Amino acid sequence: MPNVRVWFLDLATLGIRSPAGLSPYSDTGSMWKFAWRNLLTRPLRTALALIGLSIPILGVIGLFSLSEAMRNLIGTTLSRVQGVVVLREGAFSPVFSDLTSDLLEKIAAVPGVRAVTPEIWKIAPSVEGRSAAGNIVRNVLTRDPKAPSKQLQNMLDQPIIVGQDPTRRAQIKSEVFPKALLKGEAGGRYLEPSDVGSNHVVISTKIARDNPMPDGQPRKVGDFIDIGGKPFEIIGLYETGSMFLDVVVIMPIDTARKLLNVSPDTVSSFYVEGDNPALNEELTARIEQALDGVDGRSPNEFASNFGSLMSQLDLFLLATVSLALLVGVVGIINTMLMSTTERFAEFGVLRTNGWSRRHVLTLVTAESAYLGLLAGVVGFVLALVFTLVANQFLTSTGLSLTITPRNALLGILLSLVMGMLGGFYPAWKASRMVPMAAIRLGAS
Amino acid sequence: MIAVENVRKTFRSGSHDVEALRGLSCKIDRGRLAFIVGPSGSGKSTLLYLLGALDLPSSGSILVDGHDLTKLSETDTNTYRRDHVGFIFQSFNLIGNLTCVENVLIPFLPRGVTAAQKARAVELLTDVGLKHRLDHRPRQLSGGEQQRVAIARALVKDPKLLLADEPTGELDSKTGDEIYKILRHLQAQRQTTLVIVTHDRRFITSNDQVIEIQDGQLVGEDLYQTRADLR
Ligand SMILES: Nc1ncnc2c1ncn2[C@@H]1O[C@H](COP(=O)(O)OP(=O)(O)O)[C@@H](O)[C@H]1O
Ligand SMILES: [Mg+2]
Repeated sequence: MPNVRVWFLDLATLGIRSPAGLSPYSDTGSMWKFAWRNLLTRPLRTALALIGLSIPILGVIGLFSLSEAMRNLIGTTLSRVQGVVVLREGAFSPVFSDLTSDLLEKIAAVPGVRAVTPEIWKIAPSVEGRSAAGNIVRNVLTRDPKAPSKQLQNMLDQPIIVGQDPTRRAQIKSEVFPKALLKGEAGGRYLEPSDVGSNHVVISTKIARDNPMPDGQPRKVGDFIDIGGKPFEIIGLYETGSMFLDVVVIMPIDTARKLLNVSPDTVSSFYVEGDNPALNEELTARIEQALDGVDGRSPNEFASNFGSLMSQLDLFLLATVSLALLVGVVGIINTMLMSTTERFAEFGVLRTNGWSRRHVLTLVTAESAYLGLLAGVVGFVLALVFTLVANQFLTSTGLSLTITPRNALLGILLSLVMGMLGGFYPAWKASRMVPMAAIRLGAS
Repeated sequence: MIAVENVRKTFRSGSHDVEALRGLSCKIDRGRLAFIVGPSGSGKSTLLYLLGALDLPSSGSILVDGHDLTKLSETDTNTYRRDHVGFIFQSFNLIGNLTCVENVLIPFLPRGVTAAQKARAVELLTDVGLKHRLDHRPRQLSGGEQQRVAIARALVKDPKLLLADEPTGELDSKTGDEIYKILRHLQAQRQTTLVIVTHDRRFITSNDQVIEIQDGQLVGEDLYQTRADLR
């Protein structure tokens, strides 16, 4: 009798056979039917175990799609940036970087560099009287009904001031913000050389919405907005759709220096364009070689930095979910233990009729596999609903959660494995009983 | 032929041991109907379970057609239970989540059921008068009907040995009579060895072998005539 045996299971029992074994047998589905009916005998208990495992599976699938959405967003955000950003060595982003202004000439002298423009990046001191630190504290303290998605959003919402050189940036081709200006009148215009020394700013429609006029209307081109206690005139409105970019307030670099107390000798970063965007990696290498204490970041490098940050976040989230998963598995163990303990006499009868230990083990494992599989499917459906709802709240961030078939499959498979793991001890216990003792236990 | 030789069976019950069988020896002829009788707690069921290889004796040997059950491998024990012994319990022990036919087919379920086996199961259920109950669940059946399904299950493998532990213990006397009629008829027809545990001697006839046990020891064999006064 050709058997397919995997570890402790007798798969032939479940109708999984090598082809040679197929011919003389019919009705190989009866074991599956049997296992299925055993689950349905106690529908409430089965349902409770299902819920216990499906919730963490929802968590797993949900988290994977969230982190994938973040990666996608970062990817699309960075794909708009075609130049190289030069930062102080080791700085995580321009906001945490400072360099001396005289590097400009040195960078411009590096072979292959076509254009360089200095930039100042700083967290906005306050917008319409609300400071960054104040925002964070307020977000934590107020119990926003839309929490926690709103809170997460608000943390990422802190406006950032970007000071640009209106003259120099005219040579730059690949800038993100000028291209994101709203079409027509509403978009206004971008910084021009004539804006040097003025209090003109270009802001995102998001900032315009978040800081409305007293009548509740979003700010428009021509309106003023209070930044750091001073009035600034809005000359342009942009919208990139990315939550990482739509927090930026662009103003002339000298105006930014005054507002943020940055001396003329320092800048945050340089934005560099080469002759050929395809050779950005080589350009980066040349810049880093020519200058001490700087990091050149091509979009790819930014992406991989974010990638490793996200991986760490994933790991942390996964650890959290694992705990829930553990609780779910304990629930399965409990359910299967109850179910097998009250069926000892049955197992005794099966053994009396020649069932091997392996057969009993396989039957019980099939039951818990069913449980795991079902919990996986339920978790997947819950995750679908969850992403639908979550996307309603995330529209303004540019984040969009989708469950890829791969993630769905992984979640369901994980659930299947967890179910089988949870069923293993009860199955092993049931299979170990001496038939006579099992039957007598059941009779008394 | 069955030969039980100096069998002891000790159960550990909490801190002390219970000796269910104390060096019991007896023989049962092939193709015979044998009764194991004795008071409650004397070790009758234990002996029967040992004959079905549902447990091992603490010492001694049990030979069935020359094979020592105490020396069978795990696989051979499973084969013995599946193909060579039919077991009928006092409380029927049908499986609630299987239909009558499926209950009869239990020995074959793990390997997949052949069409021939299924036909055989249907035939046996028809023989015991349950043709119209094939796809019913046990709880839809009366006690007598359930025991008839159990008999069909014990017979589906064409066993050389049939064991029944107080098969009428949970049935009223009229239904019990029917079950005995069926068992006797089948035994006579097939010439299988049938061993029945009972404490009700009214079914015993002069042709039957009787093994009487008390306190885990044999107190008499073939005592139908001589000990009739004790009935
Ligand atoms: N698993 C067990 N643990 C302890 N004692 C047991 C166990 N099984 C049976 N016994 C004891 O063994 C003795 C014989 O039991 P049994 O064979 O069922 O007797 P009978 O069938 O003649 O009534 C009884 O005293 C019973 O209590
Ligand atoms: Mg008994």
